[in-house]
Amino acid sequence: MGWKNKLFDCLNVMFLLLLMLTMIVPFINVVALAFSSGMASMQPDIILFPKDFSVEGFTIVWQSLDLWRPFMNSVIVTIAGTFLHVLLSSLAGYVLIQPYLPGKKLMVSFILLTMMIPQDAIMIPLYLVNKDLHLINTLSSLVLSGMVSGFSILLMRNYFMAVPYEMSESAQIDGAGMFRIFATMYIRLAKSGLATITLFEFVSRWNMLSAPVLYINDSSKITLQVALKSMITEASATSSNFLVTTNVRMAGILISIIPLIAIYPFVQKYFMKGLMLGANKE
Amino acid sequence: MRIIKKNAMFYMMMIPIVVYFAMFAYYPLVKGIQTSFQDYKLMGERPYIGLDNYDLVIHDPSFWDALWNTLYIGGGILIIGFIAPLLIALSLNEVMKSWFKKTAQMLLYVPHLLSWVVIGGIFIFLLSPDTGLVNMLLVNIFGMNPINFMADESWARSIMIGSAVWKDMGYNCILFLAGIAAISPSLYEAARMDGATRWQQVRYVTLPQLMSTMKVIFLLNTLGLLRIFDQIFVMRNPAITSKVDVLMMYTFQKGIMEIRFGPAAAASFFVVLFTLLLTVMVRKITRFDEV
Repeated sequence: MGWKNKLFDCLNVMFLLLLMLTMIVPFINVVALAFSSGMASMQPDIILFPKDFSVEGFTIVWQSLDLWRPFMNSVIVTIAGTFLHVLLSSLAGYVLIQPYLPGKKLMVSFILLTMMIPQDAIMIPLYLVNKDLHLINTLSSLVLSGMVSGFSILLMRNYFMAVPYEMSESAQIDGAGMFRIFATMYIRLAKSGLATITLFEFVSRWNMLSAPVLYINDSSKITLQVALKSMITEASATSSNFLVTTNVRMAGILISIIPLIAIYPFVQKYFMKGLMLGANKE
Repeated sequence: MRIIKKNAMFYMMMIPIVVYFAMFAYYPLVKGIQTSFQDYKLMGERPYIGLDNYDLVIHDPSFWDALWNTLYIGGGILIIGFIAPLLIALSLNEVMKSWFKKTAQMLLYVPHLLSWVVIGGIFIFLLSPDTGLVNMLLVNIFGMNPINFMADESWARSIMIGSAVWKDMGYNCILFLAGIAAISPSLYEAARMDGATRWQQVRYVTLPQLMSTMKVIFLLNTLGLLRIFDQIFVMRNPAITSKVDVLMMYTFQKGIMEIRFGPAAAASFFVVLFTLLLTVMVRKITRFDEV
């Protein structure tokens, strides 16, 4: 009995370690290649440490290939879009917790129904709508895409519902306006909810691919993911292009990961809690 | 009237949201259906042509290829992407050291956070025939010939399934772990009192108690089945398109590349229809509503 248990534990941990290796090794490979020189990164070799250490990959991708421009576009779209998304979702969530509001049921079903519409299935008409509004080739189209979502509204509503309504009532008696109650009381008490949707939105906007592919074709307005995509797939087809060596592409990948790694500690704190909330609520 | 006035502020707050959803959710849905019955051109007249667009799509062999690819790849991701994280969650749950558990969770979750451009890019390089790490290992350690994974039709779908499972494994695993954590410890205590082995505890306590979590995750993943786009968009190449192009890719190509909005809208309407059908089916099979 005892040794069987021990053996099982041993195999179990080995299995998990092996699994973790499949996560770690590719990333070590990426980092090692990014910090290698162009020549070294193109050699057929198992590279887990930088070979012929250099940062030329980063300087080439940032300056010669102008990655800074799509990077800045992504920063703008991510920050503006996330801010608006969080603001609108929490406003709507706040409205939906008002107990005596005529027409509230109608609003709830109006919002719930939007969650049933598969976003990707309306890709073509959404493109046409953006075209009719002259939003094609503007960063605004990307900010507008997914500017508010039923999921976030409901999530915020759930967080706000945890705030006792009596508090807001007594503040009203003290003469505080609705908006002030919202800004000073609810927003503060539902901090973890705000953090959750902020992170959700930040990550999905930073990684957004189909919207910029659809709406943007002006090369000065493309986002980081699109720039990276063309660098990765097109460069592998035309390897004669001496600028785009493997270290350059890996440097591009690393640059695009950095903001996500920076927020990862917060993700662990809030995001995962939010995930579970989302999954259990269904 | 007084109530409305008192609540005017709230209605004002709701206006931007209602306008947004009307313009970017409901209107496109209606417009999509309308477009699917039109000979839609960007300029000039857009005559209604009945079911011609649907007819065209149905008689397009590449549409059926796309549907089959979607079912094959999506189904693979759905099934393997359900079993793998479940096994990992059960395996993680057997580990006593909490620092190990936390580190493993943290690491496994990372790929879910990254975009398909990054993950797809990494896979393309790892699998490249002349410098990729996988082929280097095959050649240098196992003495095999390099395999051109990304250009080989027989590997294409497996790679799509494998990379998607790998990417979302950690995410689904955390959902399963949350479900396991919610199981009452007294059930395990009772099982131990009755002399249940570790395997028996998993078989007779954990798995049955996890049923409702499993159903939720399965249902959520089913909804994603027809939506595969980013991954294929990044990882496809001319050599394997016929094996990996999915429905969304077909729509994208018809609409945006060939500028034929009518057939594209008709194809997306099929996506909506299939999604509904699948949802109903899965709900029936898992008896989701009874949970």
